[in-house]
Amino acid sequence: MSIRFQLLLIALSTLVLPWAGCQYARELESALRVSQESSLQASAETISNALAAQAANVFDAPGAAPQFDWTQGDLYLVPLHQDPLLDGYREDWGDLAAAPRTLPTRTGLAARLLGGSTDHYAFLYVEVDDPSIDSEPSDPHPDTDRFDRINLEIQSADGTIESYFFATDAPGLIAAQTLVHDEAGAAHVALEPRIQAYWQQTSRGYHLEARMPRSLLATRLWIQVIDGGSGRRAGSSSVEYPAGGKLFFTTPGLNHLLSTFLSPGTRVTVIDTNGLKLGVAGSLRVNPDADLEPTGGSWYRRFVAGDLKHWPLQVVANDHVEGRSVSAALAGHPAAEWLRSRTGQTPLLVAAAPIQVGAWLRGAVVLEQAGDQLLELRDRALTHLFNFTLLATVLAALIAFGVATWISLRIGRLRHAAEAAVGPDGRIRLDMPEAHRGDEIGALARGFERLLGRLHEHTHYLRTLGGKLSHELRTPLTIVRSSLDNLESEGVRPDQAGYLTRAREGVLRLQSTLSALGAAARVEESIRQSDRITVDLADLLESAVAGYRDGFPTARFELLRPAGECFMPAAPDLIVQMLDKLIENAVDFCAVSGTISVRLRRTETRYQLSVSNDGPPIPPEMLDRLFESLFEHRRGGDDRPHFGLGLYIVRLIAEFHGGEAVAANRPDGAGAMFTVILPMV
Amino acid sequence: MSLEPHWGKRRPHIRANQRPNVGNCGVAGLAEPMRYDRPMKKQIALVEDEPALRDNYAAALSRQGYQVKSYVNRSSALQAFALHLPDLAIIDIGLEDEAEGGFDLCRELRAMSAEIPIIFLTARDSELDAVSGLRLGADDFLTKDVSLPHLAARVAALFRRIDALKRPGDAAQLLRRGALSIDGEKMQTTWKGSAVTLSLTEFWIVHALARHPGHVKNRQQLMDAASVVLDDNTITSQIKRVRRKFMELDPAFDAIQTVYGMGYRWVE
Repeated sequence: MSIRFQLLLIALSTLVLPWAGCQYARELESALRVSQESSLQASAETISNALAAQAANVFDAPGAAPQFDWTQGDLYLVPLHQDPLLDGYREDWGDLAAAPRTLPTRTGLAARLLGGSTDHYAFLYVEVDDPSIDSEPSDPHPDTDRFDRINLEIQSADGTIESYFFATDAPGLIAAQTLVHDEAGAAHVALEPRIQAYWQQTSRGYHLEARMPRSLLATRLWIQVIDGGSGRRAGSSSVEYPAGGKLFFTTPGLNHLLSTFLSPGTRVTVIDTNGLKLGVAGSLRVNPDADLEPTGGSWYRRFVAGDLKHWPLQVVANDHVEGRSVSAALAGHPAAEWLRSRTGQTPLLVAAAPIQVGAWLRGAVVLEQAGDQLLELRDRALTHLFNFTLLATVLAALIAFGVATWISLRIGRLRHAAEAAVGPDGRIRLDMPEAHRGDEIGALARGFERLLGRLHEHTHYLRTLGGKLSHELRTPLTIVRSSLDNLESEGVRPDQAGYLTRAREGVLRLQSTLSALGAAARVEESIRQSDRITVDLADLLESAVAGYRDGFPTARFELLRPAGECFMPAAPDLIVQMLDKLIENAVDFCAVSGTISVRLRRTETRYQLSVSNDGPPIPPEMLDRLFESLFEHRRGGDDRPHFGLGLYIVRLIAEFHGGEAVAANRPDGAGAMFTVILPMV
Repeated sequence: MSLEPHWGKRRPHIRANQRPNVGNCGVAGLAEPMRYDRPMKKQIALVEDEPALRDNYAAALSRQGYQVKSYVNRSSALQAFALHLPDLAIIDIGLEDEAEGGFDLCRELRAMSAEIPIIFLTARDSELDAVSGLRLGADDFLTKDVSLPHLAARVAALFRRIDALKRPGDAAQLLRRGALSIDGEKMQTTWKGSAVTLSLTEFWIVHALARHPGHVKNRQQLMDAASVVLDDNTITSQIKRVRRKFMELDPAFDAIQTVYGMGYRWVE
């Protein structure tokens, strides 16, 4: 992994900043929530205290509210904002008219009831699932005739119970009917025009939407749905539940009273001990046009909004309020809780406080507030936080990238310098880039410099070792030789002559070894003293190759030269010496009965002098190093000493002439080729 | 891959030099030691700080009938020279702690006598050029590689030259090649009438080349002629030096021609 990438990764660790920001925002949010909870709860308590002080305006009847029991036919009349059209449909009953409640039944007749009231009228809405229609006969006898009908019993203020029923032989607008007993005691059916209804036939059964003046109603009302065909019933009657059928109303004027306590974005509801709504005021929306759901919500929210999931969903009912806080308040303890709105997206804060009038718990105040204000606050903070920390991350990444690039550039420079420190000529460059810098890379560069310095000393020692050895050994060798000369002159016995001869041979070998060792030094010396003259390279080659033919009678030489003269400024002795080395090398590696071909080519500005021989190719990894001093890859099988100087001398001479020496294998793979490129001028 | 010099392969001089046959060299008879009786033994001063070498040289020269006096350093030699001049001096260039003590001694000895033959012995090839540049008036420069018979041959040759110089000139000994004239006895060379100051080695090389103009002499032949064992580079630098000496007299001199890869020849 490159340093650049590593540092980039490190820079990415600054992403922990937004994460920490999220955590902080969560903390902040829960703190805000707690404070919002307590403040809303305090408001609820304040309102409840205020309402307790004017309990008469809040509760219709003094004392505890009666128990609400649906199964006994108790009915809560939902406050309606305006009179619905009498058409058998409840679409115009408004938001508050949620799904109607199913009437209790023992015989399995499915029917649902909804009650509502405006200032002057009470409305009833009944849905009956009864596909078989049993129409009312023309002269009905409710006690004996079996037809579909809805019984309605109303207890008036004086306690008498009036019975009515709805039935029809054709859907449409109808009036309630009642049994009237004439003087003879015979019962017959009469219409009650104050109670009107609309009978709407549907595929599943029928709907009935009825309207009656509020003044008809007092405290109790029973409704019973009867399927004429089967005799099934739903609902209750005064006979079954004389204590049931209680009517529950909202308190007139309470809504207005409540609206004086309102702050924007809150809704206040007063409930009685049954949880039934006595009055409602306010809206959860600060701006009535705005959606309750967060709009264009920030995507950051998904990092922090996970905690909504475990909140209970808000229960929406047209007639009552329920929930943990409501139960607590109705048990006498103020409480607050967080809910999710119906769609599950928006947090909703509900605080409830009991209304204690004297010794009686009369009901509770339920205060609701949308949590989206808080959400907005949090989002704003989060958005800023995110923007700042992301900016910081991007900046940090950029800076890290820049620094890493800079560092890796420097290291790269150092690496290149280190790789190039030992040049192809074996010379060592001692100065390193970056060495003047004070940091670790500078120290590394200085370390390289010291290392290279040592290496330089070492190679210098090696380079000069040959010359030194050759020089130092010369005197003792001369002593040995002169001693042998003396010994021979003094005369030795014939049987000793062999030793003398062998000693001489040894000395000569030693001498040639020393001479080889000092060859490079001598060439360097003679290069220093050489002058260049204009030489015809082709002519020189002709004569030299003729000499090699004499010198190496076993080898076959071939010379290819361009026609005409090939002049260049050169030190001819050195050129010949260079050629000597190339030829010797070629002869050594030339296959038996192979050919050594010497070739001179002329390009526009340069001469290419190449010597190639048939024989084994050179291992490719060696090609670049062949011309180094003291580089030796020769295999055994040759008893002459090799110090890796021959081709080094070739290079020295080529470079002296401003050219270069190149080693390559022949394209056919059957030999090696050494080329010296010499400039013409 | 590298190569080292391996002269033996194509120039079998090693075997040839095992028993140096000085009589067979380029200048016939020149190297032959003089064996006739002398009224008095020639006296040779040998200045050499290496005791083993000194003793070996002294023994070899004594065997040739010379009286050899050895000196270890410049001062002891100078003291002795002040009392009595030797007939010939062989001087090592590096003397004890004086790296070029031999040069100074040569200069001082030449100041005492213009005639005494002086042979320089050097341990290093490179000193040859230094010596030549110094023009100290030495008659020959030899590396210590020289074999004792070769050394003896040179000593003999130099003594013979002294003798020849004392006698009147013998035109028969003169070798003329165009502008070149060589007196084999006196070992004197003139070019267009002017004397060319050559060392003994250089003289023998020129002599060997000029005897057969147009014939290529390879390096081995030249070494044999000059009774030296030198490597190619040294022969090359000897030739270079000879050319330079001629060209000092005659910038147009080009009688010694290089035949690359083969050797040299004298062209008229």
